[in-house]
Amino acid sequence: MATDAGDRFDATELRTGLGLEDPRRLGRGAAGVAAFVVLWYAVSLTQPAYVLPSPVAVADAFAEEFASGTMTTALWSSVRHWVPGTIVGTGLGVAAGVAFSWSGLLDDVTAPLVRTLRPVPPLALIGFAIAWFGINDAGAAFIIAVGAFWINYYASYGAVEGVSDDLLDVGRTLGVRGDLDMVRSVVLPASLPGILTGIRTGLGRCWMLVVASEIFGVPGVGREILRASNNLLVDTVIAYILVLSLMYLLVDVAFRAVQRRVLVWRA
Amino acid sequence: MASVNEGPMAENEERSAADDAAAEGDDRDGASGVAVDGVGKTYAGDGDPVRALDDVSFAAAEGEFVCLVGPSGCGKTTLFRIIAGLTDATDGAVRLGGTPITGPTTDMGVVFQEYHLFPWLTVEENVGFGLERTDRSDAERERRVDAMLDLVGLSEFRESYPKSLSGGMKQRVAIARSLAVDPSLLLMDEPFGAVDAQTREMLQRELLDVWASTGKTVLFVTHDVAEAVTLADRIVVMAAEPGRVAEVVDVDVDRPRERDDPAFGEHVARVRELIGARP
Repeated sequence: MATDAGDRFDATELRTGLGLEDPRRLGRGAAGVAAFVVLWYAVSLTQPAYVLPSPVAVADAFAEEFASGTMTTALWSSVRHWVPGTIVGTGLGVAAGVAFSWSGLLDDVTAPLVRTLRPVPPLALIGFAIAWFGINDAGAAFIIAVGAFWINYYASYGAVEGVSDDLLDVGRTLGVRGDLDMVRSVVLPASLPGILTGIRTGLGRCWMLVVASEIFGVPGVGREILRASNNLLVDTVIAYILVLSLMYLLVDVAFRAVQRRVLVWRA
Repeated sequence: MASVNEGPMAENEERSAADDAAAEGDDRDGASGVAVDGVGKTYAGDGDPVRALDDVSFAAAEGEFVCLVGPSGCGKTTLFRIIAGLTDATDGAVRLGGTPITGPTTDMGVVFQEYHLFPWLTVEENVGFGLERTDRSDAERERRVDAMLDLVGLSEFRESYPKSLSGGMKQRVAIARSLAVDPSLLLMDEPFGAVDAQTREMLQRELLDVWASTGKTVLFVTHDVAEAVTLADRIVVMAAEPGRVAEVVDVDVDRPRERDDPAFGEHVARVRELIGARP
């Protein structure tokens, strides 16, 4: 099965991920985008550039930022925040969610803490990011990791809670003994669909957090957005928003393809 | 499932002759089979404690096929879980081959009504799940999985995932999975309750074939009296409130049993009467 999926990966999976397998759907989507751009253009003619720049101005800004190398540098910098932040936050979130959900004792011990810490927005932790890590890549990654942590914590917690007791009973009658064996052999695979959905949600959320994480002066796409905003360069703002959208799209399509392969057993 | 003679189950075929002999004998105290001895279960709820089972005692000799029937609410499922070691009894004990059951044991294959296959594992991986926790070599495990798949006639589907199987096929996989580690007792809770009537009759015949070829002791919980009479050497008839043994009925009808055989009908009528009877 695995080799079959591997062979099909580049063709079918990627096409499905991009929506290319259905030309009509693709056509409608393209029409929607075109209509939006036309409407945007029409409205922009009636407004000054600092309220709504035209799509052409945005394209110009995009090309300019790209040509000057500013965009590439900023993107590379943001990737250096996004990648470690997402990996660490996702890893810890999934681990904590699975462990606290599976173990009644850990759940009892951590429940009040979790409820206290959960409402704190990652942005409110900027002080800690600066104090603990400084105004650098690690500080920005920390903010992103906090966001990724909670999404994955709750998704994994819920997924493990949803594992049917019947499957656990079957595991026991077939010789599964001890928490580690049960988690590895039954709980994790059974909750994998929910965990992967959490990871996917987190991947998107982390691109949003890139902007917040660079608010205190670390260079990156978010920093460029904030700087352009302060200078009322709305066309540049939109150009960098498009960069974030493209990165999100890229990561999401790739992850969906992986998700489909891993969950090939699902109905 | 493959017919009795096709399965490459030499080890079990050797055993089966001896087991059949034992089943014919008088070993009904369950010394080498399974013995349920004075089992009671009280649930302490919010209100008054509920007595779900009261002094349930019966035994199945090694190689014997015993069915448990009773009206809904007679504690069949509670008793099933206690025998499986998944629930603790309040009083009494269950012994398998003389050893008290204190928790789930791999000497007992358990089959549930809703199959509960692991959906992320292929058919062969499901069947091999219990074997991975034994000290058998890889080659032995593989042989064992092959034998089990052959026994239930699903060799062609070894690489399929459960999602693509019919209900009857899923239950065959569940039976193969529970038998793979070669337990002495096969414990089944309404295993054919979720499939259509036709599949059900086929699975009943196949189970009898598997039983004959492997010589396992079988404890089979059902609410279907005709099913019990089709399958069992003996039927433990339960009554409700509290769940207890009303009577144990011997089924002295030659196999294969036909439903239009008068003796079959008499047994069904007798068991139905016992279930309907109130103290």
